[in-house]
Amino acid sequence: MPRLAVALVLMAAVPLTVRAARAPHTASGRAHIIIIEGMRFEPPLLVVRRGDRITWINKDPFPHTVTATDGKFDSHPIAPEGSWTYVARKRGDYDYMCTLHISMKGKIEVR
Amino acid sequence: MRLAVYLVGAVLGASSALASAQGGAPTDAQIAAIVVTANQVDIDAGKLAERKAHAADVKAFAKRMVTDHTGVNQAAIDLAHRLHLTPKSNPTSESLKDGGAQNLATLRRLRGKAFDKAYIDHEVAYHQSVLDAMDKVLIPDSKNAQLKALLVKVRPAFVDHLEHARQIQSTLAGQ
Repeated sequence: MPRLAVALVLMAAVPLTVRAARAPHTASGRAHIIIIEGMRFEPPLLVVRRGDRITWINKDPFPHTVTATDGKFDSHPIAPEGSWTYVARKRGDYDYMCTLHISMKGKIEVR
Repeated sequence: MRLAVYLVGAVLGASSALASAQGGAPTDAQIAAIVVTANQVDIDAGKLAERKAHAADVKAFAKRMVTDHTGVNQAAIDLAHRLHLTPKSNPTSESLKDGGAQNLATLRRLRGKAFDKAYIDHEVAYHQSVLDAMDKVLIPDSKNAQLKALLVKVRPAFVDHLEHARQIQSTLAGQ
């Protein structure tokens, strides 16, 4: 392989290595999706493992929030067709709600 | 309650009158006009209440109504465009529009706690009557599956708003 090509391959490889080293341990965690639609979190109860990523997608035509009742996390308003991702780092049960709509409640359990 | 009677009359009564005058259920174009007008009426009242409301929770509720009903209306208008459905004015939508104008005229004369009470009382009656109309006329009589699906999807928002308005109504009554 010509030297220039070798150099380019090495240069390209370095950032990848750095990125991999910096990647959070969650990179190996599972990804979960909760759909917000018709004023419901679906599924309303989700059990995950530490390091998993949970993404809420808002399919309603108005904003919602994903807000832990104990204040541990808060998405702030998620616009229609928008999404918000939370990495579950600590074990525990987390009740959450939409602060904009009093009837909307959900729960995640981190094992 | 006079408000509730007027609203139920406006939505359900006029819908029934419309149905009997036509010898059948309202068309999808008429249902689209009813939905858009019903949302617009609440957006207009909400915008006034955002400016005039006295209590913070009433102001926040008004803001929520403007945002949510604007979103529902946009979804309804987008769907109507996709379906090549032109909303058609009818006795129900006209009655809703007139009722909305009367409500605004009443609210403009009030201020402070009297404004808050009148606005929230109307919101309770309005959401209850729109839910009745959705369940008895608008959802069952929608012929297009996408229009029916949109109404079914947004119905829980009206339930949530009704519950929220009742909570505030109860708080205001205790003050």
